[in-house]
Amino acid sequence: MGWRAAFRLGSVAYRELSFQAIYATRQGQPLPEAAATDDLGRTAARRVRESKLLVSALLAGISAVAATALSPRVQIFLGPEVAPPLYQAAVLATALLLELSLLWTTGLQILPTFLGSRILPTLAVLPIPPADRDRVALLLFLRTFDLPALTVLLLLPLFTGIALGNAAAGLALVPGAGATVLLAFALALATGDHFVRRVQGSPTGHRATALRWGYLVLWAVPAFAIYAFVSFGPELLRALAALAATDPNGLTALLLCFPFPYALLPALAATPSAGALGLGAGATDLLLVAAAAYAGPLALVARWLLAAPGRLALAAADTDPRAPTARRLRVRPPAVAVLVKDLRIASRSPAFGYVVLLPLLEAVVLGASTFVNSPGPVTVFRLGVAAVATSALLATFFGPVFFATELMGSAYVRSLPLAPRSVVLGKTALLVAVYAASALLLVGFTAARVVAPAILLLFVLAELPALLAAGLFEMAFLFRVSVGRELGLTNLYTGARWATAAALPGLALAGGPLLLYALQPERLPGIGLMALFALGELAAVVPVARWWTRRWRR
Amino acid sequence: MPSVGDRALPLRIDGLSVRYGPLPAVSGLRLEVRPGEIYGLLGSNGAGKSSTLRCVVGLQTPSAGTVEIFGEDPVRRPEPARTLLGYVPESPLLFDALSPHEFLEFLAGVRRLPAELADARSRAYLAAFGIEAEAGRPLATLSLGTRQKVLLVAALLHQPPLLVLDEPFNNLDPRTVRIAKELLAAYVRDAPRGILLSTHTMEIAQALCHRIGILDEGELKAEGTYAELAAGRPGAPGGLEEVYLGVTRSEAVVRDAIRNLRGV
Repeated sequence: MGWRAAFRLGSVAYRELSFQAIYATRQGQPLPEAAATDDLGRTAARRVRESKLLVSALLAGISAVAATALSPRVQIFLGPEVAPPLYQAAVLATALLLELSLLWTTGLQILPTFLGSRILPTLAVLPIPPADRDRVALLLFLRTFDLPALTVLLLLPLFTGIALGNAAAGLALVPGAGATVLLAFALALATGDHFVRRVQGSPTGHRATALRWGYLVLWAVPAFAIYAFVSFGPELLRALAALAATDPNGLTALLLCFPFPYALLPALAATPSAGALGLGAGATDLLLVAAAAYAGPLALVARWLLAAPGRLALAAADTDPRAPTARRLRVRPPAVAVLVKDLRIASRSPAFGYVVLLPLLEAVVLGASTFVNSPGPVTVFRLGVAAVATSALLATFFGPVFFATELMGSAYVRSLPLAPRSVVLGKTALLVAVYAASALLLVGFTAARVVAPAILLLFVLAELPALLAAGLFEMAFLFRVSVGRELGLTNLYTGARWATAAALPGLALAGGPLLLYALQPERLPGIGLMALFALGELAAVVPVARWWTRRWRR
Repeated sequence: MPSVGDRALPLRIDGLSVRYGPLPAVSGLRLEVRPGEIYGLLGSNGAGKSSTLRCVVGLQTPSAGTVEIFGEDPVRRPEPARTLLGYVPESPLLFDALSPHEFLEFLAGVRRLPAELADARSRAYLAAFGIEAEAGRPLATLSLGTRQKVLLVAALLHQPPLLVLDEPFNNLDPRTVRIAKELLAAYVRDAPRGILLSTHTMEIAQALCHRIGILDEGELKAEGTYAELAAGRPGAPGGLEEVYLGVTRSEAVVRDAIRNLRGV
């Protein structure tokens, strides 16, 4: 079978993957009753296209912002002390890493569907040689990301060429964009392989659970990287400038790391004078050699990638040969049972686990960063407030993902006497718990160094009703969508439409009190006003959520 | 004959119709499951068995007709009706990430069972089906047969007065089938409970079910005990299979299919 035949077979498999990505029947979800059978395939294909467009739009946005940041006028604000070619390289390296992180994250999101669709095991029983089966799997995986990958490959170089006013500069970024896409796919598959082998088959028990959450930190890294680069961009630029001034060799060593050698190519194409980087001519040559040398490992990665999707789709989980310890059955109230079930699913799934971990990691990193440069109590308080606000917004933004767990085994779960109220409350409780845990972590980090730690705690508590309102709104809205029309959120990638529709009003609800506080000059009256506003939001949302869950009974 | 809303009757289906777009799946179905009875629903693929069972458990809204579980309507008042039933679906698609133990904990919470009782029953049923050692491993790593056993344990955990079982013996080994058959027979013998069971396996239906309904193209073509069904067909030495083929007028279809396959 040649590549053309593999593509034809892959196209059939892709239709099935799209169908499973939207309807997840192999994960136990019933088909929507109202839909005409003939429309289901078309609807699935359209929804997957929409999701690709949304993710591609986000990637295009990153490229556009990066191109804007290349302008000398923006450099005056972000990094006036850095030599312009070095500044351009730093901006483009950040853009490449952001796009790598986003592709990696979406790769992890689609992975449960890729594995759960069981397309490759179906092909494995047919008389198709393993090499051809691997080709089909690779094409299937690549087609899932065709539009986002093309966006990275084309738009970032195009925008860079336009921003630098030099077509050669744009073309010089193509190798970097290609390497980024290649690495993102490889990282998604490698971490996915790790997920299948080490986590999926992990037994119950406290030690195994702790180990699983430890592994999940690994998956939170790409998503966290997006946030970290955006937050710490100016600090990174200042660090680069300081390094250039004090330790040019250290800077050269840093610039040898991926993706800097590739990000330097447009700057060198636009400004071919070696001295403009602030490094010696030898260092620039070294960086060019590094860019060429990376081609070797990247070729190995590409070779590994040829068979990786096929191998992953047929991989079996490593099972611990020891019999798990027998435990007593613990019975919890229904809403808590939903919450515990979701946490357990999150601990064995990268798509859900990182949503829980992201705000917590953010709290740890930002909390630790308050120790840098020994800031005064006022600055620490401000940093604490900003970090708590970020935790609230992160938990709200990713909250809709918690609803996706509801689709697993949903045909069975819908036969249980589980009140809609319990489902919505359980998932809202998880969202609020993620916020509360990360906010309390931050209070812990800063408590000893602010004048009145109780005020920061009051700030955390004042925001709590707004988080509750946002969670209730998001979960009740998704409940209404899932029962009334179609189950629309199997993961954040293919369910981007409903996730966005739920998250935007949720963000407005969580952000409202924060904005009010920011507009108030005094701390305590600001917190009081914030609490009142948050309680008002909660009072307004509760009847809406009750109406949705009552009207759209399962 | 029990009246409408009879709280002693495990299941009453009256005039049930299900349509998928223009396609009728079930038409005007009328049947009852009485206390102490296992009612077997037989039918070819696409005859409407699973659609009927899905309406009973409230997974599907009927186009017409009513379903009552001990007088409770699973469409209008789903929670009380679902409290009264245990369900084994056709495919063992559950939470792959949970272990059987974690899945049963979730169910015990949702069903508000006392902890001691839930623990004792889960241990007893897991032991009966020989899957205690698998109780701590994620469902994703377990065989289809083991998942099916977990579903049976899940349906029995709260000992509901009505069991709705869609092909419950799928993927099970002969020893477990025997255990399950004995368990189900005792389940309705010891208390005024009922079981609605759909199956393709004629010998199981013949041996286990007190009454049998034969569903064909969405309609109930015949109903009664095996003796009653066979009585109307004196030339049925092949047991329920012959009765089934006769009721659904499938003998000619079977003969034609075999003739057409000769020489292939």
